[in-house]
Amino acid sequence: MNVITRAGLQAWLQDLADSRRLLAPQVVEDVVLFRPVDDIRTSAALDPNAPRPAMSIKEAFFPPTERLMLIEPQADPDTPGRRRVRLTETLPEAEQVIFGVRPCDARGMAVLDAAFLEAAPPDPYYARRREGTTLIGLACKEMGPSCFCRSVGGGPDDSRHVDVFLSETEEGYVVQVITERGRALLDGVPLSESDAERPSSALSDPIAVPDPLAWPAYFEDPFWGQMSERCLSCRICAYVCPTCRCFDVRDEPVESQAGSDRFERLRCWDSCSSAGYRRIAGGHNPRSSEGQRLRNRFFCKFYYYPLQYGPSACTGCGRCIDACPVNVDITEVLGHLVTG
Amino acid sequence: MSHTEAIRARARQLLEEKQVSCVIGYEVGPRGRTRPTFIYAPDQIDRLVWNSACTHNLTRYLPGRLKVGKPGEPPPRVAVVVKPCDSRAIHVLLAESQFGREQVHVIGVACEGIMDARSDGGQAELQARCRRCRERMPVLADDVIGEAPSLPAELDPDEDLARLEAMTAAERTEFWLAQFDRCIRCYACRQACPMCNCPICLFERDDSLWVGIGIRLNEKRAFHLGRAYHLAGRCIGCDECERVCPMHIPIGLLNRHLAAEVNRAFGFQAGVAPVLGPLVTVLRDGEVHP
Amino acid sequence: MSIEPGPEAFEPRLLGFLCTWCSYTGADLAGTARLMVPSNLRAVRVPCSGRVPPELILKAFDNGADGVLVLGCHIGECHYDNGNHRAAKRVPTLQSLLAFAGLEPERLRLDWVSASEGERFARIVSEFTEAVRRLGPCHWRWAAMQPEESHLESAGGRR
Repeated sequence: MNVITRAGLQAWLQDLADSRRLLAPQVVEDVVLFRPVDDIRTSAALDPNAPRPAMSIKEAFFPPTERLMLIEPQADPDTPGRRRVRLTETLPEAEQVIFGVRPCDARGMAVLDAAFLEAAPPDPYYARRREGTTLIGLACKEMGPSCFCRSVGGGPDDSRHVDVFLSETEEGYVVQVITERGRALLDGVPLSESDAERPSSALSDPIAVPDPLAWPAYFEDPFWGQMSERCLSCRICAYVCPTCRCFDVRDEPVESQAGSDRFERLRCWDSCSSAGYRRIAGGHNPRSSEGQRLRNRFFCKFYYYPLQYGPSACTGCGRCIDACPVNVDITEVLGHLVTG
Repeated sequence: MSHTEAIRARARQLLEEKQVSCVIGYEVGPRGRTRPTFIYAPDQIDRLVWNSACTHNLTRYLPGRLKVGKPGEPPPRVAVVVKPCDSRAIHVLLAESQFGREQVHVIGVACEGIMDARSDGGQAELQARCRRCRERMPVLADDVIGEAPSLPAELDPDEDLARLEAMTAAERTEFWLAQFDRCIRCYACRQACPMCNCPICLFERDDSLWVGIGIRLNEKRAFHLGRAYHLAGRCIGCDECERVCPMHIPIGLLNRHLAAEVNRAFGFQAGVAPVLGPLVTVLRDGEVHP
Repeated sequence: MSIEPGPEAFEPRLLGFLCTWCSYTGADLAGTARLMVPSNLRAVRVPCSGRVPPELILKAFDNGADGVLVLGCHIGECHYDNGNHRAAKRVPTLQSLLAFAGLEPERLRLDWVSASEGERFARIVSEFTEAVRRLGPCHWRWAAMQPEESHLESAGGRR
């Protein structure tokens, strides 16, 4: 096994921060978030006791607000008096490295990849960012109280879906190269050979997760109305989730010189749990109750997505459980479907 | 009799006698977290609890549930467990005709303060709003659970607010830009608030009339300042907006600043009585105008 | 080397909300009487000063206004009886909130101008223009989003 010392890792990360854009967990006020790093020593990246970042790495690929194109009406030079519209696609330039990607967030990328890239045409904005990003994964030494990655096809030391995977040991970190891109990133970084085994993580008990095909029978269950009564219909669960990906698109004006108009087409995060998400022109709302909306959210994660792409869309990170202001708990939902 | 037992007894009676169709209270979930609950039958009342984690302002569920139905149908009637701060919200909602007084049976609890869930790591301590609070009894109630607790000898001043007020304009701009930058526009603050009950929020219109959909600084600042303004003379200071924020933005500072300003300029405090705030009424004799 | 214009060359961009019945008519009167009124103010006619919502004032600052002036009828003379009572209470409350958020309260001014007070209108606009000129350009508006802007790069990202 290849091993990197703590000092070696810090030096490598600082080098990455200096030479390109490095995102790592940072403490912002008292919340841990993935943010660009200037000085690795001030980041939470190497602090073994830092809590899980409140937001996932999805922001780096599917940002909360993204300009898709610029829309500019102009005078038609060939035909006086006529106007035409220039559309300029604003694709992102993104070369970045993300350090501290836990297996649940890495698995989230696999879920988003299927949704954004598999169907034709692939999403070019997401694709650009994905192509330009290298992921350095980090094993979790133990599972947290709200974690259940193990029960949805993952695990705290699952090394898939990243380019390099690190596991902390007494000597430093065991380094696994997962992809060619990861190998290239490690070029010139001093590693030592070690007989050390890759450490395994402390596991907590698995939770019961129903088979996807069990879900349709529960569609009319009064359970959805009951468990959702306290739901505030905010968007916290969707926004902190590594795999939720609903968005709204709107054309809005942009500042421009006097006499000209410019508009941008914006794509912004949205959530099916918000009250107006499914409201259509004319005012009808097929998901006007909290129960209908939460039922949709859980069906999407555990039935609709698996039906279309295969694996469950939930990676068991537990953020929604911790962040929900009224303790709507995804594991209680799963438990209900298993016990009936 | 403990508060829990008293609340359960009252809830059982109200439901058995069909005085209300639902009791809105608190329960403890399987993970040990206290959360809102809705009780519809006497055999469910054992779910109800009262503890020092009963932080939620349950009155936010009232406007939606008490909408009058078809003509001829009796209007819905529910019971709700409230702390003194929550009870002030009922006054504001009554003044704004969100529902009739006869539609709500108020189970008011004498409150010794609610613990701060974020302080669990070290010494568990009371929430900041409770350390400042001088109103330990509900302002209206059909039942009062518990005796008036004694106030601590010294109440905490609002240090965070004082710190902001002492900053220069440039420092305050920096402060708020940093706070709003972290905001993800999840609207949890708005959704947790009993007074934010517009059918369609001004800041979430499909035509982007006032604010666009961008989750960017301009839009987020406009949303928070606009919402705080709309709550001037209406916010009763439960600070639940601050508690629910996943990014720990001290959003209650805006509301507390305006509450102090409305008190200074108009001598008005929201929720003490079921009357409308000064920003929707005409000037009283002697009231200052430029 | 180019020389940047000093602060004394700054021309404030002012937005004014003038009520139809009194202040807008007063502004017209200033015009017909050929009174000197700074051209910095762009007037928006509203039915009543009480109609001016705080969201609109915030939007004006967000869109680059250096100052916002709200002019209505004198108290007791409102065409709609008491619409200006609302403005009388709301604008100072908004000023307090904006000050708390870091915007100088002097950038927002509420005043009363009747239909016959052309000179008063001219004086108020001149005073307000000079007051905002002394404050300098308003840095309230955050720079418009660049095409490549990522959420992670925004203002507080590197704090």
